[in-house]
Amino acid sequence: MRGLFRWSGKWWLGVIPLVIFWAIAAWTSTEPLEADLAQRSAAALKDTVLDKRRISVAGRDVTLAADAFSEDGRQSAVTSVEAVPGVRLVDDETRLVPEAKPFVWSAERDVLRVTLSGSSPLPASRGRLMEAARAGLGGVEVVDRMNLSRGAPPRFDNAALLLLDQVGKLKDGKITLSDTQVSLSGMARELGGREAIAAALKNLPEGFSVAANEVKAPPYIFQAYKDPVAVTLTLTGNAPDNNVHAALVAAAGRKFFSEKVVDNLKESVGAPAGFANAVVPALGALSRLSTGTLVVSDREVKLSGDALYENAAAQIRAGLGKDFPQGWQFKPEISVKPAAAPVDATVCQQLFAELLGKARIRFESGKADIVADSAGLLDRLIETALRCPTANIEIAGHTDSDGDEAANQALSEKRAQAVADYLVKAGLPADRFSAVGYGPTQPIAGNDTDQGKAQNRRIDFVVK
Amino acid sequence: MAYLTTFFWGWLLASVLLGFAMGWISVVQHGEGVAGKLRWALSALVAALIGAALTRIVPGRFGYWLDLGLIMFALYLGGCAVGSWLRDWVVSRSAPSA
Repeated sequence: MRGLFRWSGKWWLGVIPLVIFWAIAAWTSTEPLEADLAQRSAAALKDTVLDKRRISVAGRDVTLAADAFSEDGRQSAVTSVEAVPGVRLVDDETRLVPEAKPFVWSAERDVLRVTLSGSSPLPASRGRLMEAARAGLGGVEVVDRMNLSRGAPPRFDNAALLLLDQVGKLKDGKITLSDTQVSLSGMARELGGREAIAAALKNLPEGFSVAANEVKAPPYIFQAYKDPVAVTLTLTGNAPDNNVHAALVAAAGRKFFSEKVVDNLKESVGAPAGFANAVVPALGALSRLSTGTLVVSDREVKLSGDALYENAAAQIRAGLGKDFPQGWQFKPEISVKPAAAPVDATVCQQLFAELLGKARIRFESGKADIVADSAGLLDRLIETALRCPTANIEIAGHTDSDGDEAANQALSEKRAQAVADYLVKAGLPADRFSAVGYGPTQPIAGNDTDQGKAQNRRIDFVVK
Repeated sequence: MAYLTTFFWGWLLASVLLGFAMGWISVVQHGEGVAGKLRWALSALVAALIGAALTRIVPGRFGYWLDLGLIMFALYLGGCAVGSWLRDWVVSRSAPSA
């Protein structure tokens, strides 16, 4: 032992190469050691849910910076790194993710993209929401502006996924989830979209409720275009259901006696109240125009075109709005077609015959009240009468042979007079017209069939 | 420690061998050893360094280098002791016969 002490006095010489060894060892091993420890620490944290995790290693000391989602999670992360073999110290720079109060999440859609913002509870939820948005919105760019926070209500993921589904039904708008309250605003993509969203919101997870649903439906559009060249009436846009659709097409057929009705309507829900009651009279007004367009957008009716004469324009401007249900607006843009060139009496007679050959002036059954559907035909008869201002015209009423002859005679006179009154009211001089009733005495078809009788019930214009 | 040993066992082995060689030589070498006072001062320095390493007050890379140096130094001393003792045993066995 004594010898060992004596010899050890001479061991210092070896310290010089030892120091060199040490320097080389330190030089070469430090960085690989640090890299290895960083990798092992990261592996140890693989199953711990952390956000913004940063691991830096100096020598054998690990600095762990991360946002944890619970105190337990935070402590277990530090412990896991401490337990990594080779780690000397752990510099704990972890913190808890801030708590959001209220916990607000939102999805906003504009023309180009869908932006998810606000708070999301865990990275996994965030990923799931982004994935669902990309999958559900088919090709629309999805922007992630979410941050991670604590304090999400229970079943947040389910609620947010359901709301993301609704974003797909919006053209633009925003859905916000504040704690358990859902607010929606914007414009539905399609008619019926608003109703579909409202229905889907009933499936929100327990505890969630709708605070405000201000999703608007796109305007409910109905259009009719009267084309004088193609002699067609084209109906486009929406009708609420099969019955109204059929009724509109039937009404168009009655009012437009010479035009072919092209029906491009589709049926969709969401029509404003009183739709049919507004559109049918509006179609009647359109039938009085020589060319024109009817646009019904929600409760606003725009009618533009050329009336056949001045009084007709005034009547349409003033009269149509009165026929509308409550809350509907009428915006007429009616001008008057330039008067057609005057013609002589013979041509006038031909024009009358031509018009009355296409359609008849129709009355309420058994009465002398002209039905509204005949307004278009009467306007054309008046326009024709204006072209031959010197001709005197006999308005001849005829009936079929059904019923009492005296009554038929009286009815034919009254009906002829009603037509004459209509013409005078339209601004024609009363002295040009004589109303004559012929009863059933001048049939143009047999009275033995319904069709024949219908032809016999008529008003003729005879130029004298 | 086991982890560190696996990581740079080559350098530790080199330290042991170096120590063994120095120990082997020191038994028969003629020359002055380290003086008494200096020996104590050096021992105190080493003790202070060991204290610093155990309390882990030296941070980061310097801490690691300190640990590495002390481990290598300890193994060197161990090597020296074994080397000296073996040489002494060999010398004392061969001396009577010579």
